[in-house]
Amino acid sequence: MLDLLQNFAPVSLPPEAEALRPHVKAFLAERLGNTVPADIRARSWTGFDAEFSRDLANKGWVGFTIPKNYGGGGGGAFDRFVLVEELLLAGAPVAAHWIGDRQSGPLLLRYGTEAQRQFFLPRICRGEIFFCIGMSEPNAGSDLASVRTRAVRDGESWVLSGSKIWTTHAQKSHYMIALVRTSGDPADRQRGLSQFVIDLTLPGISVCPIVDLTGDAHFSEVFFQEVRLPADALVGEEGAGWAQVNAELAFERSGPERIYSSVALLDQWTTHLRSVGASVAATRKLGMLIARLATLRQMSLAVTARLASGESPLVDAAILKDLGTQFEQDVPTVIADALADDPHPIDDQELVRALAYVSLISPTYSLRGGAREILRGMIARGLGLR
Amino acid sequence: MDDALLPPFLRLLGDISTPAAVRSAETGVARETWSRLTESGFLDALVSEPDGGAGLQPADVANLLLASAQRLLPAPFGETMVARALATRAGVQLPATPILLWPVNAQGELLSSFAPLRSGSTHALVQRNDQVSLQLLAPSAAPVDGYGMPAATLAAAPPLASFSLGPNTLLSSSATLAAVGIAGAMAGVLGMTVDHVNTREQFGRKLGQFQAIQHQLAVMAEVTTASCTAARVALSRPLPGPRQLDAAAAKIAANDAAELVCAAAHAAHGAIGVTAEHDLQLYTRRIKRAAASFGSSAFWAEYIGQAHLSQDANAGDFILSRWAIPRPS
Repeated sequence: MLDLLQNFAPVSLPPEAEALRPHVKAFLAERLGNTVPADIRARSWTGFDAEFSRDLANKGWVGFTIPKNYGGGGGGAFDRFVLVEELLLAGAPVAAHWIGDRQSGPLLLRYGTEAQRQFFLPRICRGEIFFCIGMSEPNAGSDLASVRTRAVRDGESWVLSGSKIWTTHAQKSHYMIALVRTSGDPADRQRGLSQFVIDLTLPGISVCPIVDLTGDAHFSEVFFQEVRLPADALVGEEGAGWAQVNAELAFERSGPERIYSSVALLDQWTTHLRSVGASVAATRKLGMLIARLATLRQMSLAVTARLASGESPLVDAAILKDLGTQFEQDVPTVIADALADDPHPIDDQELVRALAYVSLISPTYSLRGGAREILRGMIARGLGLR
Repeated sequence: MDDALLPPFLRLLGDISTPAAVRSAETGVARETWSRLTESGFLDALVSEPDGGAGLQPADVANLLLASAQRLLPAPFGETMVARALATRAGVQLPATPILLWPVNAQGELLSSFAPLRSGSTHALVQRNDQVSLQLLAPSAAPVDGYGMPAATLAAAPPLASFSLGPNTLLSSSATLAAVGIAGAMAGVLGMTVDHVNTREQFGRKLGQFQAIQHQLAVMAEVTTASCTAARVALSRPLPGPRQLDAAAAKIAANDAAELVCAAAHAAHGAIGVTAEHDLQLYTRRIKRAAASFGSSAFWAEYIGQAHLSQDANAGDFILSRWAIPRPS
């Protein structure tokens, strides 16, 4: 039992990673200034801005952990932590390059052929191509192993049919990396799944954006009608898709993006309190949120340290993500309550818009990247239950 | 450093911190426990080497403190360690007995709803503003409080020695050690509960096979882990130890988790868990008492909230600057 607790020993960022921070801050101050409203900043890693992503790439900060010989920054996990932390704290619109940077690039680096690496990685790092992830399907959300979208071998190529749903920014991405079935049927569960990198301009693909409850259309449904994929669209080994997907998950679940999603709202509320004065109750609520965030940041750093040392701490990452997204979801609730504790109209319309946005979108925080109930099942297994 | 110390310390705990020892120490003095602890040398871990100690920092003994709490070591282990280190730095020699930490306000009142457990202690370091005095505890054992353990009271006697110390140092240390105690004890509760649900069967299945139970234990593990992290962060400050912000985050994490962990553990154990015979209650009584000692979540949250509101930084920069972990020197 003590093992689990020892895994979260305090970590101080290496000086070389901290050295990056002022440069990122300076770039963001110049590029974004102080004028981006809080409700726009609150969209951060779902905020799509291709031009911003290309400017960031020009600084060498897209594909920062990709080796230099593939056009990347050659940085480590701690360097990326600092970079991403500053981007998220500033509410920078990072969605365009986010998936390629965090997942698709590292996946292709690890499992791709040399030709795939040579083709995709430099383009990702230059901010030329953007990726989305095709996981969920209309009948397979959390139960990923039951995917039905199928690729059938036909001579040298594959023919892909089916659909993916809830794919973030598919309508604005150039490529999708999708988990699809290449043998067996849904009853075979994890066996017979493979990953493909799909050029979204191919004939037979249609992308339909889905409008969410805030009025945004950040995700889409993507239909594949007998799409002919070249042989080199297969990523990694045929039938090994499940293992490959799982190797990505610790990266996907442990980063600062699992604790900072509501920070733009938190900052806007703090500014409001500084301007109108804070009651004791509001001061305490603010202090509770800051305390929780401070601890979560240390937990995120601790998981990053384990990733940096080459481990794949899936249970630790699940613990962090569940706690982190709970915090992110509590922020709008606490703030809405604190404001309503003293009922009168709120003058700060930016605060109102940010509160409304985060309140409404925050249920997705514990869905994306592994639903809360799935994570708790993983943690229980890690404890030795079942 | 830490890694080499832990195995011998765990062996020592296995001898001196058994449930039977914990039980008997509740009403008497755990003389055997204290003499073994004294012989082990761990009590002088934070005293500098020239003064005859090991010259370690709190971070080096974080695992020892959490492990002692996990085993409910019936002695003020961390408190005495801290007291010896701080007093020795100030040139004050302490008796070889257990010593408590006793932060008071300007009026001289203890900054806690509950006094520290007596646990065989003879003296306390009492801090008022920037002055610390060594004071005797009242010799007669106080009656057990509602939690079933005797609390300490100060003797009405003149101080034996005094030295100066940064204001609130002992308050921060007391709250941090309370948080460490809660966090470690919750790890003990989690371990017991995992064992129980992996053994106990109902409806023809082990309790641990029910998803409702699995998720409850997962949440217990999450909040326990967060508490241990926050406690370790506070312990990462070199002597004189944690600042108020560190203590605040640690106590908030511990207190937030305490109610949930106790409730889920008792739910999983069923009625046997509230019997005097079962060891779970040893943990529950200490966790709940410690949660109500040295400040609630709201008390500490107000401190953090004021600190954040009184400057200009956003949440991220505030946290980055105030909670950065010191690099090992």
